[in-house]
Amino acid sequence: MIPTSLRRSLLFILLLLSVSSVLFASASGSVTLGWSDWLAAVQDPNSRYGELIWRLRLPRAMAAWVVGSMLAMSGCLMQVLLRNPLADPYVLGVSGGAAFATLLGMVFGIAAGFLPWLAILGALVSILIVFGLARGTGPWSGTRLLLTGVVTASGWAALISLILSLSPDNSLRGMLFWLMGDLSYATLPSWSLFVLVGSFILTLGLARSLNVLAMGETTARLLGEPTHRMLWLVYLLASVLTATAVSIAGSIGFVGLIVPHLMRLLVGSDHRILIPAATLFGGVFLVFSDTLARTVLSPQQLPVGVITALLGVPLFLLLLNRARLKGV
Amino acid sequence: MTSLACQSLDVSIGGKDICSKLNLALEPGQFWGLLGPNGIGKTTLLKCMAGLSPPDSGNVLLENQGIENLPRRVVARLLGMLQQHTVYVFDASVLETAMTGRHPHLAYWEREGPKDKQKALDAIRAVDLAGFESRSVTGLSGGEARRLAFASLIVQEPAILLLDEPTNHLDMKHQIRIMNQVKGQVIDENRSAMIALHDVNLAARYCTHIVMLLGKGDWQAGPVLELLDRENLERLYQCPVEVVQTSSGRRFLPGS
Repeated sequence: MIPTSLRRSLLFILLLLSVSSVLFASASGSVTLGWSDWLAAVQDPNSRYGELIWRLRLPRAMAAWVVGSMLAMSGCLMQVLLRNPLADPYVLGVSGGAAFATLLGMVFGIAAGFLPWLAILGALVSILIVFGLARGTGPWSGTRLLLTGVVTASGWAALISLILSLSPDNSLRGMLFWLMGDLSYATLPSWSLFVLVGSFILTLGLARSLNVLAMGETTARLLGEPTHRMLWLVYLLASVLTATAVSIAGSIGFVGLIVPHLMRLLVGSDHRILIPAATLFGGVFLVFSDTLARTVLSPQQLPVGVITALLGVPLFLLLLNRARLKGV
Repeated sequence: MTSLACQSLDVSIGGKDICSKLNLALEPGQFWGLLGPNGIGKTTLLKCMAGLSPPDSGNVLLENQGIENLPRRVVARLLGMLQQHTVYVFDASVLETAMTGRHPHLAYWEREGPKDKQKALDAIRAVDLAGFESRSVTGLSGGEARRLAFASLIVQEPAILLLDEPTNHLDMKHQIRIMNQVKGQVIDENRSAMIALHDVNLAARYCTHIVMLLGKGDWQAGPVLELLDRENLERLYQCPVEVVQTSSGRRFLPGS
């Protein structure tokens, strides 16, 4: 952990990194722009590379940033909800419902512009199923929520496999890209910005309560939290964030797991600082990964989910090993 | 003055009666000991008194109002409970964890101020954890974690303290230290406490009142001098008890 006095500076650095990562992403790609070309293109959208930057790269980089920060924030919330530092935004099946609905849309040839709405719809159905089944009438039960969510996620996975196995070969590639998480066709609907900003403000306002909830339900109640209501609110917030992210770019893995984990190591578990740090760094991480996805095998583009997993898996194992050495 | 009262309280767990028609009131200045053999339901009763689980029938009254009707925030400003087990999953510093006791006193967006921090630092010193402020809670020993949980409770400043075997995992020095602190809270701050204990002699030395859970819903409650004797203890623990007179009063040993 870094000293408390430096934590604010870290947020400032992450903010700078966010801006510069987006700008850097707009300059790199199959055509890498030099400083002067880039400056000319930014100043004049009608210049030679203006369209490339303003219509393609900047929107995509912005979408990557927004999706990354949503997944990271959702990861933080899920970890408090399930009281497990290894929970991720997909563990309760939100992305499964979104993926199933989207793939179904692809099979029936629904226009690409409507697919995000199908994803939202699928995610909502999944949220309602899990919420309805896990809620019951008894007290809050994290275990029941986890079991319901995990089993629902498996159900979606089976349905997705069914669709894939029945789909014609020529549409399989697009489906697989989407499943792995892909920003190639990502557009950033304006409502998603409201979701991001709204949930960020709400989550930050709840940050001290999240600290208490992370200590366990009974402790939180004894410290004055109406835990039942609070935990459902956390669940809904995390689900809406995940659903929005998945509707934009498919199920990009590991961002929601790795980013909160890394930030916890740096700034500790006080959510008043962890939430902004993870939100900013989630954006940076995904912009960086997507830039790699576009450039590593350029002009061939990779789904960004492959990159986040390739970066995430070794990083995660490293952290886990470090934790084991510390005796945790 | 804040009081906590049980009114003809029926509590059971898994079909087993813990107490039936329990009547007692924790008044300021009173230090209650809750005695009973393993598995008799001391924790369940304390949880019920903290409003964490509803009784089968009867009422728990906090400041003359049904505890289940009060918002948890209001309850938390008046009543605090030390649980039997404290497990810290997420990394946080000892100071941050002690400071969580301020949570019910702070408004939605409010941050802890210098006064709150000072209270936390004082409590950390009081439980003999000075120097541990920036240590991570996940690396604490069982006894240290207990003392930190107790520090958070002091920081919470509740008028009523419920403590579930606070002396577990503690060595003799820290047992006495915690008992002295609870006594200090009761006498100096005019608060009230109920403490579940297995050590009858700690109860004899510190408590003003005793409630005994005898099984099958039977109970006995009253001032410590009236209740704590050989007959009652033999009935409570189902084993022979020997009484020893010491300079500071009666003490009890397992007999043969």
